[in-house]
Amino acid sequence: MSDPGPYYFRFNLYHRILHGMVIVSFLGLALTGLPLKFAHTGWGAGLSHALGGPFTTGYLHRLFAIVTFIYFGLHLGYVARLVLQRRPGVFWGPDSMVPQPHDLVQFSQHVRYFLGLGPRPRFGRWAYWEKFDYWAVFWGVAIIGGSGLLLWFPTFFARSLPGWIFNVAIIVHSDEALLAVGFIFTIHFFNGHLRPEKFPMDPVIFTGRVSEEDWRHEHPEEYERLRREGRLAGVAADPPPLWMRNFSRVVGFSALAIGMILVWLIIMTALG
Amino acid sequence: MPQGLRRALVAAAVLGGALLAAPAAWAAEKPTAEDCLACHADRDLKRETPRPGRPVSLFVDGAALKGSAHGGLDCLACHTTATAPHERLPRVRCADCHAAVPGGLAGGAHGSRRAQARAPAPTCTACHGTHDVRPAAALSIDTCATCHAAQVRQYRESIHGTSRGRGDSEAATCRSCHGAAHGLRAKSDPRAPTYHLNLPRTCATCHADPELAKRHNIAVGAVYQLYMDSIHGRAVTRSGLLVAANCSDCHGAHDIKPRTEPTSRVFRASIPVTCGACHAGVLAEYVQSIHGREAARGNAGAPVCTDCHSAHQIRRTEAAPWQLDVIRECGTCHAESLRTYRDTFHGKVTTLGLARVAKCADCHGSHTIQPASDPRSTIATANLVATCRQCHPAATPKFTEFQPHADPTNRARFPGLYYSWLFMTLLLVGTFSFFGLHTLLWLPRSLAERLGRRRSGAPPEP
Repeated sequence: MSDPGPYYFRFNLYHRILHGMVIVSFLGLALTGLPLKFAHTGWGAGLSHALGGPFTTGYLHRLFAIVTFIYFGLHLGYVARLVLQRRPGVFWGPDSMVPQPHDLVQFSQHVRYFLGLGPRPRFGRWAYWEKFDYWAVFWGVAIIGGSGLLLWFPTFFARSLPGWIFNVAIIVHSDEALLAVGFIFTIHFFNGHLRPEKFPMDPVIFTGRVSEEDWRHEHPEEYERLRREGRLAGVAADPPPLWMRNFSRVVGFSALAIGMILVWLIIMTALG
Repeated sequence: MPQGLRRALVAAAVLGGALLAAPAAWAAEKPTAEDCLACHADRDLKRETPRPGRPVSLFVDGAALKGSAHGGLDCLACHTTATAPHERLPRVRCADCHAAVPGGLAGGAHGSRRAQARAPAPTCTACHGTHDVRPAAALSIDTCATCHAAQVRQYRESIHGTSRGRGDSEAATCRSCHGAAHGLRAKSDPRAPTYHLNLPRTCATCHADPELAKRHNIAVGAVYQLYMDSIHGRAVTRSGLLVAANCSDCHGAHDIKPRTEPTSRVFRASIPVTCGACHAGVLAEYVQSIHGREAARGNAGAPVCTDCHSAHQIRRTEAAPWQLDVIRECGTCHAESLRTYRDTFHGKVTTLGLARVAKCADCHGSHTIQPASDPRSTIATANLVATCRQCHPAATPKFTEFQPHADPTNRARFPGLYYSWLFMTLLLVGTFSFFGLHTLLWLPRSLAERLGRRRSGAPPEP
C-alpha cells in the first residue's frame, strides 16, 4: 500500500458523534418501525417478534425517536452557536449547507459528465447531493418526528386539532419513513459508500479524516480554496489509527448490511 | 240298595280308584308339556285377580314355546313346583337359572326400579317374553318402545334412526349410547354413559373417528378432539360442570338431526335459540342487534353464534388468540372495513398479535352490534366519545373525528387524505425516480474513475 499522503479533518468529533446518533436511531427506528408498516408480511411479523413483539417494539421505537429528537436539538444548538459566534458563511457561501446557484450549475455539469459531454465538476465542501442528504434528514426528522408525536400523544393533540389529522399523520409518517429508509439505504449508501470510487465504504464519517488524495478527488474546490488561503495546516490530521479504522469497518459494514437487508425485504415485498 | 251297602261300594270305588290312580298321581307330580297343555292350550283359560274384570290369561302358545329360546326346556324347568292339576303357582324366578345376567340387573335403572318397587318397572318377561322367550340378539328397538315410545319415535326420525332404517349398520341404536339393557343406568347416574359428564366420550366412541366421519359424509371429522379443547369440553371434562354444554345440549339426544335439516337444533336459523337455551342473556341482546334482526329476516349472510364462535372450537372470548382471530371472521363479510382497518395502527398491531389495541368489537360491540345510524350504536355520533374513552380516557369530541376506516385513495369520501396521500406518493416516486436515474448514470462513470485511479497507481480507500 503506497503512502496516501497527509490527512486532513473533514468532520470534527461533534459531527461524528451526531452522525453516530443518526445511524443508531435511524437503524433503530427502521428496525422497529418497518415491522409495523409491513405487519402483513412474514418478515415483518418475524422481525417484530424477534425484537420482543409489537409492545416492546413500540417502546423501542419511541426510545429511538427520543434519540432522534436529541440529535436534532443538538444540531440546532450547534447551528445556533455558530450564529451566535458570528461565524461567517453559515447560511451562504462555500461552506454553507444552503442550496445555492452554483449547486444547480454543478448538477448540470455532473449530468453532462455522466453523459460524457464534459469533465467532472470541481465540487466544494458540500456537493449538491450531500446537501440533498442533509436537507432530506432535516425535513425527514421534522415531518416524521412531528407526525410521530401526533400519533404518540393523540388525545393531547386532539384538544386543539381535529381527529382526521391522525389519518394524515399515519400516511405522512409511514410514507415519509419509507422514503427515508429507501433513500438512505440505496441512494445515500451509493453516493457515500458503494459507488466504485468509494466501494465498499468511506470511513470519513467515523474517522473524521480524509487523505489528501481523496479530498482532492472528492472536494477539489474546497482543497484548493483552503490551500490558497493557507488554511491547510489548520485542518491537518494524523492518519486514522488502526482501532479507528477497525471501528469504522465494524460499525459501517453493520449499518450497511442492516440497511441493505431491510431495503431488499421492502423491494421484495413491493414486487410481491 | 240299603244305605250301608251303598256306602261300602262308594268307599271301595274311591279306594280302588285311588289305587288305580296311583301311577297317574305320580305322573301329575312331574307333568309333561302335553300334560300342561292339556289345560293351558285353551285360549280362554283365565285366572281371576283381585281387580275384578281384569283376569290374567293362563293360555300358553305351545308352538311359540317350542320355537323360543326355551323350546328345549320342560315346563317344570321354570314352573318347578307345578303339578297337574294345580292351584296358583308361585312366580317364576328367572334368576334361578340366569343368576348372573350380562351387565347385572341390580345396578341398572331397570333392575333398581324393580328392587325399589317403583312403577313402571320392567320385568324380564316384559322384554324377553314369557313362553315365547327371545334371546337378547332377537330383541329390537321395538322392545324398548314398549315403554319408551316417545323417545323411540324421536329416534326413528333422527339421523341415527333414519340411517339405521336405510340399512346403515354403523348408526347408533339405543344400546350404542345407553349400554346394554340389564346394566343400563339412568342419565342421572354418574356411572351412566349418558351422564352429562360422560356423554362426550360416549358420542366419541363413533364420532372421534375421522374415518367414520368420511364414510358418512360428516363435515367435521375431528369433532371430539375439537370439542375437548373447547371451552365447553374443558368445562365438562376438566371442571366437571353440569351446566356446560355437552353434545346433546346442542344436538339433542334422541332427535339428533343433521344441520341441513330445518328441524335440526343446529340448523343455521335455529342456532341462536339452541345456544340461547344456556346463554339467555346473550340471546336477548343478539336478537335486537343488526345481526340478529337480519338473521331473523332470513338474511343468510347475517352471522349466527357459530359464525364468530365456531361450533366445536369455542374458545374463551377474554383470550387474545380468539379476539385476534375473530377480526378476520368479521372481515369475511366486512372485507372493505377489514382492509381499511389493517391500514391503521390498530389493525397493524393486532396483525402482529397484540390484542390490547382496538379490535372490531371494541368499537362496534359484539352481541349488541348496531349500525352507526342507530342511536343505540356504540359508534353513533353521540356515543363515540364514550366508546373511544374505553382506551383513550382523555378522548375529546375532536378526537373522534379520526377515521378508523379511512381509504386515502377514495377522493370523494376523504379529499384531504387523498391529496396528502397523492402528495406523498408523488414525492416518493419523484425522489426515487430522480435519484435512481442519477445513480444509474453515475455508476459507469464512477467505475471508470476508479479504474483510472488504480491505473495511475493510487490505492483505493479501505
